[in-house]
Formats: sequence, structure tokens, C-alpha cells
Amino acid sequence: MKKLLLLLSFSGALFLLGGCWDRTEINDLAIATSAAIDQKENDQIELSLEIFLPKAFGGGSAQGGQAGGQGITLVISQTGSNMADALSKLQGVLPREIFWGHCKTFVFSEAVAKKGIIDHLDFLLRQPDIRERAYIFVSEKKARRILEQKTNLEPYTGQALLEQTDFGIGMRVTMQELDEMLVSRMQSAALPYLKIKTQKKSEEEKFRFADISGVAVFRKDKMIGRLSEERTRGLLWLRDEIKGYTVSASPPGVNGVVSVNPVSVYSKMTPSIVDGKWRILLTIKTDGVIVQNSTPLDFFNPTSLASVEAALQDSIETRVRESLEKTQHQMKADVANFAAEFYREYPEEWKQVENHWPEKLSEVEVEVDARMIIRSQGNLILPANEKEGGEQW
Amino acid sequence: MIRNVSKLLKHTKGQKSKKEEINQAASKPQDPLYPNFNDNVEALRSIYKDCSDVIFRSFSLFGKTRAIVIYMEGLSDVQSLEEYVFTPLTKESTDPPSSLSDFLVHQLPVAKVTKIHLLADCIESISTGNPVLLCEGQSSAFSLGLAKSENRSIEEPMAESSIKGPRQGFIESLQVNISLLRKIIKTPAFKMRSLKIGTHTQTTVTLAYIEGLADPTLIEEAQNRLNGIDIDGVLESEYIEELIEDNPYSPFPQILSTERPDVVCANLLEGRIAILVDGTPFTLIAPVSFASLLQSQEDFYQRSIISTMIRWMRFFFLGVALLFPALYVAVTTFHQEMLPTALLLSIASSRENVPFPAIVEVLIMEIAFEALREAGIRLPRQIGSAVSIVGALVIGQASVEAGLVSAPMVIVVALTGVASFMMPRYITGISIRMLRFPLIILGGTLGLLGVVMGFIAIVIHLCTLRSFGEPYLAPVAPLQTKELKDFLWRSPLWMMNRRPHLTGDYNEHRQSSHLSPNPKAGGEAKNRQE
Repeated sequence: MKKLLLLLSFSGALFLLGGCWDRTEINDLAIATSAAIDQKENDQIELSLEIFLPKAFGGGSAQGGQAGGQGITLVISQTGSNMADALSKLQGVLPREIFWGHCKTFVFSEAVAKKGIIDHLDFLLRQPDIRERAYIFVSEKKARRILEQKTNLEPYTGQALLEQTDFGIGMRVTMQELDEMLVSRMQSAALPYLKIKTQKKSEEEKFRFADISGVAVFRKDKMIGRLSEERTRGLLWLRDEIKGYTVSASPPGVNGVVSVNPVSVYSKMTPSIVDGKWRILLTIKTDGVIVQNSTPLDFFNPTSLASVEAALQDSIETRVRESLEKTQHQMKADVANFAAEFYREYPEEWKQVENHWPEKLSEVEVEVDARMIIRSQGNLILPANEKEGGEQW
Repeated sequence: MIRNVSKLLKHTKGQKSKKEEINQAASKPQDPLYPNFNDNVEALRSIYKDCSDVIFRSFSLFGKTRAIVIYMEGLSDVQSLEEYVFTPLTKESTDPPSSLSDFLVHQLPVAKVTKIHLLADCIESISTGNPVLLCEGQSSAFSLGLAKSENRSIEEPMAESSIKGPRQGFIESLQVNISLLRKIIKTPAFKMRSLKIGTHTQTTVTLAYIEGLADPTLIEEAQNRLNGIDIDGVLESEYIEELIEDNPYSPFPQILSTERPDVVCANLLEGRIAILVDGTPFTLIAPVSFASLLQSQEDFYQRSIISTMIRWMRFFFLGVALLFPALYVAVTTFHQEMLPTALLLSIASSRENVPFPAIVEVLIMEIAFEALREAGIRLPRQIGSAVSIVGALVIGQASVEAGLVSAPMVIVVALTGVASFMMPRYITGISIRMLRFPLIILGGTLGLLGVVMGFIAIVIHLCTLRSFGEPYLAPVAPLQTKELKDFLWRSPLWMMNRRPHLTGDYNEHRQSSHLSPNPKAGGEAKNRQE
């Protein structure tokens, strides 16, 4: 019995003598919700963190007070020679341990992106406690300003960016995907591009919001340009990521526009090398729902439906071509990842062009086969401007 | 190591009991009654020296023979004694019956008159409340069946109330309890063996089973374990339970105790045995599995789909009751990245002013909760409710408002408390509640790793447990896929055609297999009859 007690107390002490070395109470954490990296002079960078302020967060405590309005986060920044340096300085000014586990958005300023982001990524990917599924953005101006802007619907900026991205309007790239792009054969990358837009709320007040509809294009790890909103959409069709967009087209011979929401999109690239000519066949199949129709067309008529579908197909093809024109030919960046397709089908031929892929890329001929099928026309049978044309339902 | 210790204990216990047996034999009057009336009375008088409640009432039988009635005040029906014994026997009669013994046994208007020949039997008869009649010139005594006991009326069981189903509960009288069982199971195959346990209390303990359903080896084993008990007194069935269970060190009950006759009968019908103890409404049932501790009698009194849903809820809340506080502590102090961001932020803001680490916070709250529960049970009912109101206010509201405890912690503790009361058997709930504390400490020191380690240890322990030799985790380990129909869900009654494996193996057939009600069944049944 004595031995048993001894054993029990000994093993019990083992748990406690460890000192719970790993233990951190939640109120000893400075929870970072998003981070921004800006370029400074002399190759210095500025790391800004959006830190959650638990006291300001009304929550359940009876203190109540500042509901909404005053932010529940604080943006704090320090300059350093690299991320690690800046971070250690940041930790120096904070009384709590910086906790990366919930930092789901990282914003690089355009200046940083142009100098190359691979060194910063090295830091981010090396830390075990930084989420690889965090979203990465490039901002037009100072990245810190993105964090500082007041959010309206969401409680803080990180959350707002996250939700906006998940909605599928712009591109969505996680840290892991970015890493994969950078080390893959495409030798280029694309990241969502943030712009701050302002809108007047009243005479004095201005209302700011981040617009994520553009794309920053990278060759290797350096940003070389950006795509406009329209071209971004073309890229999204290519990458099979389109979600919340509306395609509009006017069928030939009639006035007005038909707008369609894609319900499901399927896109596929088929590479071929015929007589030394590199070609890609791009098949995009879209099922859509009509959301607005300002033409007099009646979609019960199969011929008018077909003409609308044809017009929409053309519209999709144009978008895709426009964005390819910009990226493939002007920027020579393989953001659509043709490289992987060729490598998979023609590994031998690929090896020969591997070293000058950007040049070869612009020679690749692209054929677009866009197909649009309209599955539903919504609740209206006839166009709303068709007055008493047929039976009313 | 534990095993060695227990062996050692058993050894010493065995030696002791032998000694006691010797002592007992010396003090117990096993001798037959003396032929002389006076000697007998003297012997009894000396045995009952200083027992003020034993009445020695001498009178003369038909005005001629000396006689004495010995009974215990309060245990015997004095009114009947006067009316049916003294009145006819003290009549001065001219012609006394030729054979006094025959007269007493056959003509006295008392339901049960037995002739006894041993002094020990006299003592037993007196102490159970049956007056003993000694007459001059008779070598034997007569035990008159005039015992009277004050019983509580049969009420709804306090610890196991139900909405649907019989509302009778056992009471403290063994005879009444047996009659309640006999009212349900009328077959003569329902057998009972009684024995007396307790050197001083001489408590009647009855082993009940249905012949042909219960495995004879199981009955024998139970009988052996009961025979092995040597204790001074049995006040409650727990005394028996602790002395006959398989693993005395386990926090889990290996014998089910219930105060519902219907539960006992259901178990008897599955080939189990019941042990009834005089003086307590709680009856023991063995062997049981962990699964049956998670079942309530009401599972079988309502529609199977509803019972299934309730069982799943029970499984879920079993996990909550055991793990929730430990997981909360582990996640909030070690693995903050596992919480959804919004949840983390609201926990963070509510923990802002709390002075204690999460593990201390949860221990304070859990211990306070246990204290409240205990206080509420022990106190008289009127004060009990006051305690719970004060406790709810202090624990729930004031401590949060004072910033001593965070609001999410109160929710965790409250939910855990409710979950532990979800267990249909009170004893299961207690062992789960107890095991929560080591898990909390493991969670607070080693994080999720500790919780998982603790949980695995519990599961391993459960796997090694046996109840009267039957595996405790059956039908899950060892896996009996056919038995899962009464564990993972509750199949309709017409599907449970066989008795559960292990306890019901001796006689598997429970019912015929065509019981599923359907439109055809009526016709088929007719055909079969024809």
C-alpha cells in the first residue's frame, strides 16, 4: 500500500513538475487577426498587426459601453530588417504574447510585392503557429491602411476581408497555394489585389471599403503588374473559381441585355503539341440562371434561348481571351498554369522549354470552347416589359 | 501491484473470519430445548437479560398447566395475541384437550403455528416478532405467526421516477418487496433462496431468479459469494454489493441497484439474478454491463424511435459529462487555435477580468457545484430548495458579475451538471462526475494529450472490468453485432426475439419471430392456428 501511494504521488507530481510549460491563458494572449507588411527605406520593412482588444469587445460582461463604433482592434506596427526582426520588436512593445493562430489574412503592399515576397513567405511558412490557410493579398498603397480602415458590417478588418474573399467575387489564394504556385513549374503567381475605395456617406463623412476585384500578377516572386476587374473575371473562369459573378450579353439583332448568373462552372485544359505547335484547348461549361432580361425575347422559344446562349458564350470567350492576352502575351506570366498541363502530357517536350518557359508561353495557341446552358429563367416567364403579350401566370 | 495488495488483503480477511466463526459457534445456543419447562424459561431469561423490550407473560393453560408466552414489544401483534391466544387458552375448561400439542397446532385460530425444538429457533422466532409459547410438560415450543411490522406504504420510487410505466417502488420490507415481484412474475419457475447475513442484524437476504432462464452456474456463484459474507450487520444492499462485486477498486458500479420491481423483473427475464435485502428498498441485479447502466426502464415503455433518440442523446451527454470541462480547459489554455475565431474572441473578452487560470476556475466551479448538489440532497427538502436558489445566484450570477469566474465557464459547468443528471441510473452519474476531476487536471497540465490519455485509461479500465464474470463493455467489447440492437439503438420489441448473449445464453428463445405487426399477420396467425 505504501508503495502504491508513493507511486501515485510520484506520478502525480510528474504532471505538475512539468510546470505546464506550454500553458497560456487566453488573457495572456495578444490575438492577431490580420497582418500587413509595408516597405520602408533602407530595405527595412514595417510589420503591422491588427490586435484584438478583449476589453473593447462588449460580449457578455456587464460593463457594456462602446457598442460597435469604436473598433475592437488596434493596429500596431514596428520596423525591422525582416519579418522576424520586426516581430521581435513588436513583441517588445506588447505586454501579451502575440498569438498567430487566428491571423487569417496577410496583406503585402505593392512596393513589397515588387521587391519580392519569397523572403517574407519563408518566415510565415516556417512558423508552426501561423495558419497555412490564411489568405494573402496585395494592396495598392500602404498595407497598414487596409488594416486601419473602419469596417462597417464586420467587427474588424481581418474578418471583413475574409468574408469578402469567401464570397468568391475576387481571387482567393491561401498561403499554401501561393507557396505551391511559386515553387511550381508555372514560375508565376497571382494574388488578389486590394484597393481602398471611398464613398460619401454624408457631407463630411466618407465611407471606405476594400475592393478586392483585381489581381496582382507575379513572375517568380516579384509582382509585375495587375489585371483589371474584367480581366480578373476572365482569369477566374480559366481557373474554375468563378462563383458570384453575373455575365451579361446582348444577343444579335435585338435591343437590350440578358444577364445570367453561373450556377456551376466546369473548365478543363487539354494541351496538345502538333508539328511543334503548342496548343491548349480550353473547355468551359457553364450552367446559368437568367437574372435579368431587358430584351423582348421569350425564352420558351428554343431558338431565342439558343441565340442568347451563343451570345453569352461569346462574352465568356472574349473575357477569357482578354485576360489571356494580358497575362500570356504582355506579362508572360503563366497564371492559368498551362505549364502543369503540358508537363503532365508531354514531359519530354516540357524539359526542353523549361528554362525559357515565359518566352515559350506567349507562343502557345489557345482555343476557347465556351458552352453556356441556361437551366432556369427565374420566376418570370415573359420579359417584364412585354405587356399582356400572352397568358399571365 | 494493486492486485498483490488486494491479494494480501483477502488473505488477512480470510484468517479473521475463521476466528470469528469460532467465537460465534461458542456463543450461539444451538442446543435443543431442555425437557424441563423451568430450565427453558430460565435459559431464555438469561439470554434476554437486560432486554427491556422482551415480554415474558406467564399464565396458566386452562387454569391447570403453567405456560409462558415470550414476545418482543412492538414486533408482535398484541391485540391478536390477546384475542386469539390468551382468550381461548386461559378459559377455565373442565376437559382439557387430550394432546396439548395437537390442540395448539390444529385448533388455535392463528394462521401459522410451528413447533420448534431448538433454543436458537426460539430466539429467532422471538426476534422476528413471532411470540413463542412454552408449556409445562411439552418438550417443544410453539412459534405463533403473529408478527406485525410497521411498513411505509408503497410509493413511487424516489430515485427512479418515470413518466410512463408502473409507479410502484420497493419499500423497506422484504416480504412486501417479494410480493411485488411475485405479482408481476407469476410462474412457479420464479425461485427465491433466502439466507441470513449479519451476526447481529440477522438480515434476510433473498436471491431471486427464474429457473430455466438464469444460468445455474451464475446462481451458484452468487450463492457462494453470499455465503462467504461474514459481517456484523447489513443495513443496506450496498453492504452486500461491496462485498460481492468483482473489482472493489473500480469507480464504476458492477452491480445495478434499483428500487423498481419492473426493472428487477425485466432483468430476471433476461436471465439475471436479483438480490433482495430486508430493510432497504434497493435491490441488487447482477451481472450488469455498462450498456445497461445507460438504459432506463422507460426506454422500453415508449416508442422505439423515441427511445433510440433519447439513447443517442444519452451517449452524447455521457461524453459531455465526462469530457466537456476537461476539453474546455485544454483548448483554452493550450490549443487556442482550435476554437473558431469568433468564439475565441468572445471567450477572451469574458475572461479578461478573471484572476484565476482556467483550470483553477473550472475546479472552483465544479467543486462548488458538487457541494451544492450534496447540500441540496442532505438537507430537509424545504431548506434544500433554499440552498439551490442561493447557490444558483451565487455561483451563476454573482461570481460572474464580480469577475471571479467567466460566463462561458458557468455555461460549461452548468451544461456538464445537467449532462451528468441525464444518466438514468444515479450511480452511473456519480462515477462519471467523479472521473471528471482527474480529467480536468490532466487537461490543465498536459492539454488535449492529457485528456486523451485519461480517456484511454478509462476505456482500458472498462475493458478489464467484469460483473459476475461477464465483460462490462459488452456488447461493444467483445463485439456482439447482434446485441447492438439494444445498445446503439432500441429495436422494436418484435425484433428482440432472443435474450441477450452472455446472460441469456442459457435459454436464448425469448419470443416467436413472427411478431411484427403487418396487414398479413392477422391472416397468417389464423392460418397457423388452423
